[in-house]
Amino acid sequence: MMGRAFSSDLLKIRRKGLWLLAIVAPLGLLAMQALNFGLRYDYFLEQYEDELWEQLLQYMTYFVSMSVLLGCTLVSSLLANVEHGTSSWKQLLALPISRSSVFAAKFALSALLMAFSCVLLAIGTVVFGLSFGFPLSSMPLWDIVRLSFFPYLGAMPFLAFLLSMCIMMRNQAMLITIGVTITIVSLFSTSAPEWLPLNWPLFAYLSDKPFWFAAAGIVTGAAVALMGMIRFERKDVA
Amino acid sequence: MPGFRRLLSSEWMKLSKSRVWLLVPVSPAIALLIGALVSFDSVSGSDRYPILLSAMGQFHAMFFLPILTGILAAFVCRYEHGSGGWKQLLSLPVSRTGVIAAKLLIIAVLLAAVQLLFAAAVYVASVIHGFAPELPWGALASAVAGSWLGCLPLAALQLGVSTLWSSFAAPLAVNVMLTLPNMLVANSEKIAPYYPWAQPALTMLRGDALDFGAFALPIESLLITVLGSFVIFLSASLVYFNRKEI
Repeated sequence: MMGRAFSSDLLKIRRKGLWLLAIVAPLGLLAMQALNFGLRYDYFLEQYEDELWEQLLQYMTYFVSMSVLLGCTLVSSLLANVEHGTSSWKQLLALPISRSSVFAAKFALSALLMAFSCVLLAIGTVVFGLSFGFPLSSMPLWDIVRLSFFPYLGAMPFLAFLLSMCIMMRNQAMLITIGVTITIVSLFSTSAPEWLPLNWPLFAYLSDKPFWFAAAGIVTGAAVALMGMIRFERKDVA
Repeated sequence: MPGFRRLLSSEWMKLSKSRVWLLVPVSPAIALLIGALVSFDSVSGSDRYPILLSAMGQFHAMFFLPILTGILAAFVCRYEHGSGGWKQLLSLPVSRTGVIAAKLLIIAVLLAAVQLLFAAAVYVASVIHGFAPELPWGALASAVAGSWLGCLPLAALQLGVSTLWSSFAAPLAVNVMLTLPNMLVANSEKIAPYYPWAQPALTMLRGDALDFGAFALPIESLLITVLGSFVIFLSASLVYFNRKEI
């Protein structure tokens, strides 16, 4: 049943800007670095000849963790808005389909869209480096994979939280503001303790125990999603 | 003119139950928190105000103001996007230009409220650090008013995009994504003045606050660019909306 809810959701998000967001966000991140490296290529070549890849990843780190959090916000809001925008929660829930599968399908779709972005980012980073003539032999493939996927895994609790809230509440402006605030505060919170979920997207790449943060993100994300699902089951739909 | 006043009051009424005012104090409150945490160990006297303003303003004007402008622009179109609201609104004896003008004015008023609260936050932070009597009110007023002006081109642009795209969140997504590169764009004095998302930051953080890249440009040329882009975006939005098939 969830599979069918999922495929109907896939149909519903056509032309809503969701795929566009998933494609443009990683390309935008790389375009920013193309500008950065394009303008000062000689400087980089001179200064960091042996660690061009490391420089690229270092410049991208903060932007990736920010974009992942913003992406969670926007994907959740756009996805929930498919139903809010046409006031069609009623119609959807009148179908012979359980609420938990409706919720699970939405969550799976948002996770898939984010993962798609991450895959694009990983491929794009490799293509970016090679087309700028970074040496293939020194390509830190593991770091690239880690930068592309681990911040996303660390941000899972926020994806689950924001998606639940966006589905529950009609007024998306509040939620987008909350998401933006979370994102911006996360830039300033790195000195806070590491158990704070706000730090997980960044620490999942920067710290020396990335798996720990990624796993914490997945487990907490699943727990938050479950809570959201339980609340959605009980919600009165008008 | 009475028609326009009624348009305005109907826009205001549509917003009044939407709790949009909850968005107004968010950024000044966080800025106040940041301002209260700034340390002035090694500076004294008149150097303290620029440091305070750049700490509070970088966060406020660089990120929140452009994003908030987009949120407000999307917000004033929220009622119309749902269930055929544009049709209902435009079947009334109102001009389409008037509709855009009323919505833009509402955005501008809400942004002005945000800016006033931000100025109040700077004042409170200076009281906390004990240099409130030395606060240069003129400089603060021009920073706050300047970044308010700097938001208006973006408001006109985002309002146009919000009418174009019949979705609440999609224009916001674009807006947020284009706000992110601000930190990089502001370094370039060639591109930044023309980048609507960087204009609020450029017009707020000037002179002693920040003086690299496009922040060092003279305020006059910056304001001319702001005014020019406002005219361009507003007329583009008006031309588009007047010809749009609803």
